[in-house]
Amino acid sequence: MSNKMYEVSNKYGNYKDYTREFTEVGRNLPRLDGAAKVTGKVQYTDDLVLPRMVYGKLLRTTHAHAKIKSIDYSEAMKLDGVLAVITGEDCPIPYGIVPHNANEHALANGKVRNWGEPVAAVAAIDERTAEKALELIKVEYEVLEALVDPREAIKRDDVRIHENSPNNIAYEGVQLYGDPDGALKESHFVLEQEYYSSYVNHGFIEPQSAIADFDVNTGKLHLYATCQVPHYTHQQLSKVLEMPMNKIRITVPLIGGGFGGKGVASQADFCASILSRKIGRPVKITYERSEVFATNNGRHPCYMKFKMGFDKEGKITAVDFTNLMEGGAYAGWGIVVLFYTASMVHIPYKVPHVRFDGKRIYTNKPVAGAHRGLGGVQPRFAMEQMLDEAAKHFGMTPFEIRMLNAIESGYTAKSQMYVPHSEYKKCLEVVVEKSDFLKKQGKLPYGKGIGMSGGYYISGTSYTLYLSYKPHTVATIKIDEENGATVFCGATDIGQGCDTVMAQMAAETLGLKSEDVKTVTRDTTLSTFDLGTFASRLTFAAGWAIRQAAEKVNAELFPVAAALMKCRGDEVAVKDGMFYSIFEGNKKKVPWTEVVTTYIESNGPLTCTGQFTPPRRKGIVQGGNIGHSPTFGLSAQVAEVDVCLDTGKVTVTKITEAGDCGVPINPMSVKGQVHGSIQMGLGQALYEEMKIAPDGRFVNPSLHDYKMPTTMDMPEIDAYIVDSFDPSAPYGAKESGEGPIQPTIPAVFNAVYDAIGVRFHEMPLTPEKVLNAIKAQKAAKK
Amino acid sequence: MNILCEFDYYAPKTKSEALELAEKLGTKAKLMAGGTDLIIQLKESMITTEAIIDIGSLEELRGIKCEAGKGAEIGACTTIAEIEFSKDLKAKYGALAYAAGELGGASVRMAATIGGNCCHSSPAAETPASLVAYGAKVVLSSKKGDRELPVEDFITGNRKNELQPGEIATKFILPEPAPKSACKYGYIGLRNAMEIDAANMAVNITLDGDKIKDVKLVMGSVYLRPLISEAVPALLKGQVLTEELIQKVGEAAQSEAKPITDVRASAEYRKDVIGALARRLTKEAYEAAKGA
Repeated sequence: MSNKMYEVSNKYGNYKDYTREFTEVGRNLPRLDGAAKVTGKVQYTDDLVLPRMVYGKLLRTTHAHAKIKSIDYSEAMKLDGVLAVITGEDCPIPYGIVPHNANEHALANGKVRNWGEPVAAVAAIDERTAEKALELIKVEYEVLEALVDPREAIKRDDVRIHENSPNNIAYEGVQLYGDPDGALKESHFVLEQEYYSSYVNHGFIEPQSAIADFDVNTGKLHLYATCQVPHYTHQQLSKVLEMPMNKIRITVPLIGGGFGGKGVASQADFCASILSRKIGRPVKITYERSEVFATNNGRHPCYMKFKMGFDKEGKITAVDFTNLMEGGAYAGWGIVVLFYTASMVHIPYKVPHVRFDGKRIYTNKPVAGAHRGLGGVQPRFAMEQMLDEAAKHFGMTPFEIRMLNAIESGYTAKSQMYVPHSEYKKCLEVVVEKSDFLKKQGKLPYGKGIGMSGGYYISGTSYTLYLSYKPHTVATIKIDEENGATVFCGATDIGQGCDTVMAQMAAETLGLKSEDVKTVTRDTTLSTFDLGTFASRLTFAAGWAIRQAAEKVNAELFPVAAALMKCRGDEVAVKDGMFYSIFEGNKKKVPWTEVVTTYIESNGPLTCTGQFTPPRRKGIVQGGNIGHSPTFGLSAQVAEVDVCLDTGKVTVTKITEAGDCGVPINPMSVKGQVHGSIQMGLGQALYEEMKIAPDGRFVNPSLHDYKMPTTMDMPEIDAYIVDSFDPSAPYGAKESGEGPIQPTIPAVFNAVYDAIGVRFHEMPLTPEKVLNAIKAQKAAKK
Repeated sequence: MNILCEFDYYAPKTKSEALELAEKLGTKAKLMAGGTDLIIQLKESMITTEAIIDIGSLEELRGIKCEAGKGAEIGACTTIAEIEFSKDLKAKYGALAYAAGELGGASVRMAATIGGNCCHSSPAAETPASLVAYGAKVVLSSKKGDRELPVEDFITGNRKNELQPGEIATKFILPEPAPKSACKYGYIGLRNAMEIDAANMAVNITLDGDKIKDVKLVMGSVYLRPLISEAVPALLKGQVLTEELIQKVGEAAQSEAKPITDVRASAEYRKDVIGALARRLTKEAYEAAKGA
C-alpha cells in the first residue's frame, strides 16, 4: 500500500500546499472494544438486569394463515406471578420501516399471516412463569389456506393475504432505459435463462432482545434494544405508542451481529414497551432462536428471468430482467429491496439498454427484509453466470469478457447512477493473477473447478426512507482537558467495527492516537443523529461528518498553537499529539494537550459539529433513485472447488478475493468483513435454506437444522485490498461490508460448472442436486 | 426456553445408590448422563418426567480400560471427548474414536457420554455403528445383577432399546480386535462439523493372507436402528478384494438400506451415498487390515 497524502485544513479556508502521510487511517488496529467483548467485560442487551425488572414472552401462532376468532387469557392472568397480558387490541397502530406502506403490528390484529407471528404477550416475574402463562392462553382460529409460493400466490386473488393487495402483489415497478427490445433484436448473441435465489436468514449470533423501562413519574420510556436503526425504531415507537419522540430514549448496548436483520424495529421492542407502560416496571423480552427465524427479515427469494444481449465483440447490449420477488407476510423493507434488484443491473458492467419488471409478492411466510448486500446478491447470481456463458460463446475467458464490459471511474449508468471512482478492473486483474485463474480454468481434471465473479455495492444511500432534507449523519467532537477528544455520533456498531473506525478517522484529523479518542454512540439522547446501519453507509457518512467536525476543531486550535509556537497561523499542522510548523517542524512544536489547555483557559469550552448530507442528482425517474449512492465499493473473487463425484458434495478449497474499498481505514477490519461476507455467501450457495412445509409450517427453525457453514467448512481465503483512493470519499474510503458477498455465490457456481460441466440455476447447491446432475450426465453418455 | 414440567432431581453418590433409585422410581424417572439430548427434549416439551436421576458424575461409571490383548471396557458415562482423545482407543479402536470426534460440537462432546449416545438410540447416532462393527456389548445393571447384550440387539428402534425400568447401562465391553483386522467409520453430512448424519457406516474387515476372512458392515441413519449387512459378508468372505467386488459391495449396501426422506436428505440420496460410503470404507478397511 502506497502512502496516502492528506491535505490539512485551515481556519481561513486558505490553500496550503502541504500534505502529510496518514498516521491513523490505514492502521491494522484490533477492535478497541474487542478485548472487553471476548473476556465478557461488556454487556449485550440480554446481559442487562434493571432494578424491579420482569420478563416478557410472546405467544406465537403455529398457523401460517388464520383469522383470530377469540383470545382468552383469563386463566393466564390467574397464574401467580403473571403481571399483564396484552394482545393485538393493545397495539392497533401499524408500523413499518417504510412509513407509507407500514402494515405490521406488534401483535397480530385479527389475523395471522405467517407461522410464528405473535398474538399475545405476557409479563411475569420470571421467564418460566411467563412461559407457563403462554400455555394458558386460549386462541381460537379459523384456519385459512396458506400460500407459500409466490408463483401461486399471484394467481390467487381469492386468497388475499392483505385485503388491499389484489393477487397478493405488494408492489410492482417497471423501469425502462433506452430500447432493450430493439437492442436485443440487433444483438449478435442473446442469452435467456431463469434463476432462483433462495430463502435464507442472517444467522446472527445474538437474538433480538429488548428491555423497556417506562417511568410512570415522568411518562418517559427508555428502551434498550438490539437495533441497528435506532432512529427509525425511535420514530415507529413514537407512532405505535402515541408518545412524542422526546419522551422516548433508545440505547443500543453492544450488538452481536445484525446484517440487516436488526434493521427494523422488532416486536419485542414494542411489546416490552407496551407491557412496561402498563405495569410500570422494566420488562425484558429476549427471543429464542425459533423466534429469530419467525421474525426473519432475511434475504428476499427471487424468481428471476433474464435476457442478456451481446454484440459481436462480446459487449453487453441490453438486459431485460423480470423479477418475481417473494416478500413473505408483510411489507418491511420490500419496496426498497425490489428497486435495489433493479438498480444492481447497471453496475459494474456497462449496460446501455435496460428493462426491469418487478413485483413483490406476499406469501404466508416470515417476512423477507434487509440482508447483507440486499438486492445485489440475487441479480449478481444470474448475471455473473450469464457472463461466463457468453464468454464461452465468444471464445473468450471469463476474465476477458469482464474486463471488456467493466465500468471505470466517472461512469454514469443509464439510470443516472454516477460512479465517482472505480478500481474494478484492478480487482479483476489481481484475483486472476493471484489465483492463476487463466492457467487453471477449463484445464483442471473432471471434478475440480475454478470460477470467477465480480460485484459491487453501494457505499451509502442518497435518500431517507421518509421525506426529509436533514443531514443523514451528525458528529460532534468535544475537546476538553479531562477527556481529550470525545466523538459523539449516533452511528451504530453492530459488530462491523465502526466504533474503532470512527475513532481512527477522528484521530487522523485531530492528530491524536485512535486509542485516545473516546466515542459516545448508539444512544438517541447522548449521541448525535444518524440514520442507521444499512447500505454500507457508515464509513462514508460518519467519516465526512467526523472529518468536518475535526477540521473545525483544528481551525480553532491552530491559531492558539501558532501563538504558542511563534509561527504564522497558516503554517500549523498536527499529528501524533503534537502541533508543529510545516516549515520548522523540528524547532517549532507544542503538545496537543498544552494547546487545548491554553484554548480553554482563554476561550472557554470547545465543541464542534460536522454533518453529512449525500449529494442529490437530477434527472432520476421511475424509482431509479433507489440504489443511488455517493460512491461504490467493488470486488472480484475466484473460487476453487472440489466436487465429490460419489456424493455430490461441493468443497470450496480456496477463495481469492480482491476488493476496492478505497483507502482501508482499518485493513484488519476490512479483511474481517471480507471473510465474513464469504462465509455468508458460501452459506447461501451451498448449505442454508429456510424450509417451509406446504401448509406454511416452518420445518427447520433452529441452528441445528438450518445449516450455516462452520469454521471446518471454510476454505483458505486469500484477500487483497487493491491500491485505491476515492477523492469523493472521506480519507478516500468506501464500503467493504456488503460488496464482498456479491461475487461469492456466482463464483462458486461458475467453479462447479468448470468442474463438472453442469450449470445450476438455483441455490443452494446441495450434494443431492449435484449428484443427480452427475448421474444424469453419466446416463446421457451411455 | 425453560423446562416447564416439575420434576425431582436426584444426584446419587454411588452406583448402588443409583441402582436403588432406578428400581424405586422405575418409569417415573429419566436417567441423565451428559443431558445433551434429554435437556433439549425437556425444554422443547417433547417429553415430561417426574424425576431425573443424574448419573453423569458417578466415577464408577466412567473411564476407559484398554490394555494390550484384553479388549477394552468403557464406562457408560465416559464423555465423548474422553473417547475422542484417548490414545489407547485411537490405537486399537480408531473408528470409534473418530466417530466420537464427529459428534456435535466441542462443547457437546465435553458433556455427552457414550452411554447416552446409545441409550438415546437415535438412528443418526454416531457411536453405535462402530460399536456394533467392533462387536461391542453393553452391560445393563440393576439391583438384580448385570446382563450383557450385543449393541445391535440393545438398540431396537428409533429411540427404542432394551433398557428396562430399574436398569442402568453401566459399561461397554469391546472384544480385542482380531489379528489382521481393521475398522473404518465414515459419514455423509452437509457440513464438516456439527452435523447430524444423513448416513453413517462402519466397516470391519479381518484378513487371512490377502483373503477376507470376516467382514461386518454396519449402516447408520438408513433404518430405525443400526443395520448390519448380510449381503456384504456373503459377497466378500473368502475373497480377495477387487474393483468389481467393491462395486458389488456398494450395490449390496444400497439394496439393503431402508432410508427415509427427512429434513436432512431424501431417501433416494441416502441410497446413493450409502453405496459410495460402502465402497470407500470397504476399500479403506481392506487396505488398513493388510497393514495391520
